[in-house]
Amino acid sequence: MKKSFLVNFSVNHPKLVVLLTILITLAFATQFPKIRTDTNPKSMLPETSDVRVWNDEVEKTFGLYEDMIVVGIVNEKGILNKGTLSKIIHITDEILKIKGVAARDVNSFPTITNVSAEAGTLKVAPLMTEVPEDDAEMRKLRKMLFENPLFIDRIISKDGKNTAIYVPLEKGANGKEVADKIREIAGKEKGDEKYYIAGDPVARDTFGAEMFKLMAVFAPIAGMVMLLIRYLMFRDLFLSVTLMMDAMVSIVWSMGLLIALGFPVHIMSSMAPVFLMAIATDSIHIFNEFYFRYRETKDKKTAIIETMNAVSRPVRYTALATAVGFGVLLFMNIIPVKVFGGLVAFGTVMLRVLSFSFIPAMFTFVKEEHIEKASKSEDIEFSRTSQFLKSLAGFGAHKPKSTVFVGLVLFSIAVFGLTKIVVNNNLVEWFKKDSEVRIADNVINQALGGTSLGYIVAQSKEDDYIKTPEAMRYIEGLQRHLEKLSVVGKTSSVVDYVKRINKVLHDDDPEYDTVPETKETIGQYLFLFSMSAKPSDLDNVVDYPFRKANIWVQLKTWDAQAMRDVIKAVEEYKAGAIHELPLQMEMEFKPAGIAYFNLVWNDEVLYDMLRGFIIALITVFIILAVNFRSIKWALVGYAPLLFTILLIYGVVGYMGKDFDMPISVLSCLSLGMAVDFAIHFIGRFRQKIVESLELRVKSSEDKELQTPNSELITQSLLWTAARPGKGIMRNAVLFAASFSVMMFAPLTPYITVGAFIVSMMLLSAIMTIIYIPALITLFQGWLFCDKCEGRK
Amino acid sequence: MKRYLIILLIMLLPAGASALAPEEVMKKSQEAFLYQGKDFKARVMMKLISKGGQERIRELTMLRKNYGESGGAQKYFMYFYQPADVKDMTFMVYKFPAKDDDRWLFVPAINMVRRIAAQDKSSSFVGSDFTYEDVSGRDIEDDNHTITKEEKLDAKDCYVIKSAPKAQDVDYSYKLSWIDKGSFLPLKEEYYDKKGELYRVFSADEIKDVKGFPTITKRTMKNLLSGHRTEVTYTKADYSIGIEDSLFSERFLKQPPKKWIE
Repeated sequence: MKKSFLVNFSVNHPKLVVLLTILITLAFATQFPKIRTDTNPKSMLPETSDVRVWNDEVEKTFGLYEDMIVVGIVNEKGILNKGTLSKIIHITDEILKIKGVAARDVNSFPTITNVSAEAGTLKVAPLMTEVPEDDAEMRKLRKMLFENPLFIDRIISKDGKNTAIYVPLEKGANGKEVADKIREIAGKEKGDEKYYIAGDPVARDTFGAEMFKLMAVFAPIAGMVMLLIRYLMFRDLFLSVTLMMDAMVSIVWSMGLLIALGFPVHIMSSMAPVFLMAIATDSIHIFNEFYFRYRETKDKKTAIIETMNAVSRPVRYTALATAVGFGVLLFMNIIPVKVFGGLVAFGTVMLRVLSFSFIPAMFTFVKEEHIEKASKSEDIEFSRTSQFLKSLAGFGAHKPKSTVFVGLVLFSIAVFGLTKIVVNNNLVEWFKKDSEVRIADNVINQALGGTSLGYIVAQSKEDDYIKTPEAMRYIEGLQRHLEKLSVVGKTSSVVDYVKRINKVLHDDDPEYDTVPETKETIGQYLFLFSMSAKPSDLDNVVDYPFRKANIWVQLKTWDAQAMRDVIKAVEEYKAGAIHELPLQMEMEFKPAGIAYFNLVWNDEVLYDMLRGFIIALITVFIILAVNFRSIKWALVGYAPLLFTILLIYGVVGYMGKDFDMPISVLSCLSLGMAVDFAIHFIGRFRQKIVESLELRVKSSEDKELQTPNSELITQSLLWTAARPGKGIMRNAVLFAASFSVMMFAPLTPYITVGAFIVSMMLLSAIMTIIYIPALITLFQGWLFCDKCEGRK
Repeated sequence: MKRYLIILLIMLLPAGASALAPEEVMKKSQEAFLYQGKDFKARVMMKLISKGGQERIRELTMLRKNYGESGGAQKYFMYFYQPADVKDMTFMVYKFPAKDDDRWLFVPAINMVRRIAAQDKSSSFVGSDFTYEDVSGRDIEDDNHTITKEEKLDAKDCYVIKSAPKAQDVDYSYKLSWIDKGSFLPLKEEYYDKKGELYRVFSADEIKDVKGFPTITKRTMKNLLSGHRTEVTYTKADYSIGIEDSLFSERFLKQPPKKWIE
């Protein structure tokens, strides 16, 4: 009732409605300059989440930096020559001057602490403050580098062709800005050396910058593509622009609200404009019907009102289903997921309000002859699209059994594909293979220990326990065990320092490359080390009371899976299968660090999305059942939808594409979107049946005819496929077209989302048009049975 | 006219300015801070405090003997009590003007005395926020000194001296020192890094008179970037107590005489 009031009001006061819409839009648009982005994966979980609290604690205990940039320097002829070494010194000096760089803890040839012995003198000092003058000094440097396990794979690769500068960032520094400055510094150097800049902050902040570009470039392009296709469909610029405005208005409203409420734009909400644009295509059903109706009535106003009456129920329910699909995300734990869900749900509801106000109002401004021209092509008989759709539906209606059989075969293949799905997430793989970020990461990971960093924190119950030889050996054993994993490039801990000092104090005798026998010795070695080393050298690996030790685990990949492997290996080690120590160790191992965080939020997002998906499945089914007032019909409508989702995830499984954050987010959304087709198809089909029956009842008194016979059913199915089916097809094509733009994005999550939605939409439209007729034909007795009972 | 101008100029000069050159101020300050008496002894308690409030303790007896004028050679002998597992560890430094130090360390657990290479002057002293240079001083000729201003700090008249290293051998680009005009002790020092930002601050928190020498008995060095700070307290400070030359030898490193370390 309210809706039809809104429609009538809009048709009668079109100018006022349009003006109001524009004013509200402008009000929301004023919020845009306040936009903030947040690409830090940390924001996925609230600050109070266990993993963040724990990670903060670990960072504080060991004086660690949240963020580290790794600068890889490669010289194919080897880096140990005067030219390259002086460049390393110079670049390091320049990096130390960059704002945001924690200069005191930059590790590179000129700054890293080296423990060595020369002619009986112990030396704890930076490795190389000046370039070696002659061959003898160069040989000495080479010896120091390759004899010190702390350096190999950290600042020198085994083949001597790679080095790295580790640049920790102060809190709040922008990784991309620092990385750009480093690029500038390296760019000024001439010679054979190549420079690569990698690390989590670079990836994250570059992603943020790209995201902005995407929002600013790809959303408008998607809009233009839709505009063009719509124009090709209706040959009426005015109406195409109206539809476009409809989408834009809701985008401005929702993004404006988001920004006004003070939320930052996360990766997910950055996709919202394209989603809303796609959801807006649902109003194509209004246009579709309007043109048909106009041909029938020849009066604009009547056609508008009639159109709105005919489509209001399906349009309302599809909007409800979509809003619910996104709305369930509000009940998730991950903040950006919640924000995104709320944002799109709000936008969807606004779109519907506009469909019943702004769009009818705009219809009144169209010149009649324009509509006439456009609607000419909207004849079922002449339209090629309609004919094609008819034959598609005919396939299902005439050969229902074989259609369903083929479906079942595909279904089982898809289910098998589902079992092959790998759950993973990799921030660096969000960039394309040929992107600077990903190449840099690959090069450094292949040459050195790895850019992704995890920690294993060993916790004992008493002060100074870490200094005991048992604890040291236990930690050392764990390190050797972890290093067996292919994803682990390097591990380092306090034990490495102790062993190094032991060896150096005994004139580099390899026999002393071991953990000393007594706690006092270890304590004194560590003290000796701390007398001259950088404070952070020791702080990073042991806590103040020597109760806890921090084992650094450098990983060669950003796969969340890698840290899972590490944790599993730690468990194995703890279980005692590997080490030979007889006594029960009073020590716990706990994972931490960015690699661990990535694993946790990855799991949380997936779990959240899975939960959301199940809730959405149930809710959408309820909506279908309420809409159709029948569980049977809801099941029929549900079948092609589920089938499509299964098929797509099956393909994801076969392709070996990781089931990552973007893919998991899509699962919920696709449900809410694809269900539209079923609602339209079944809704209009049943309406048609009722209309035809009423017609027959009027013309004859024969009560038998109140139950539709199979001839009528087939006829109505074909009509539905040709008329509202055309709307469905148009909707799907528009949807697919706007999302196909995302496939050209420079970031893989957008590409994934684009490809997924394109195939989802096209597939579910086709599935709806083939399988709903097939199922209805096959189960007509069962489906119409309660109807006839109900009528009696 | 000329006469008035001169009077005006004299009036403009800060009161009490005896026209000390900045180098002279620094020299006097070095003498007051590090060279008082023939020799010096103190029980030193260092608290290394992390940003999060965690503490590490270093407790030692420090013995110092001057060889020559202020700014000349010195010998240091340190005996550690804490942390517990380094008890009996000793450390000896021969300091020479314009030349690298000689350093020795005794590691009791393996009963071994080792020469330790002197290196980077700005490396941390026993893990604290003080550098070796902060503990034993820096050659005055290594820096260019200028008096930037004169002002009161804690009701004491001070010279504020800017010292910029001539060579790039330290972490800071320059240092500002507030030198008390009365005692010539540094009351405050600010260290600016190569980006020109203040990052390390020294403060003299307690000054006591020991045998007529004003002595800083409590001091703090704070690193503003890491949030780490070190608080040092001197107890049992004493001057001119007759430390023998023989103390500064390998033999006594291994077995320090009881009278100096009780």
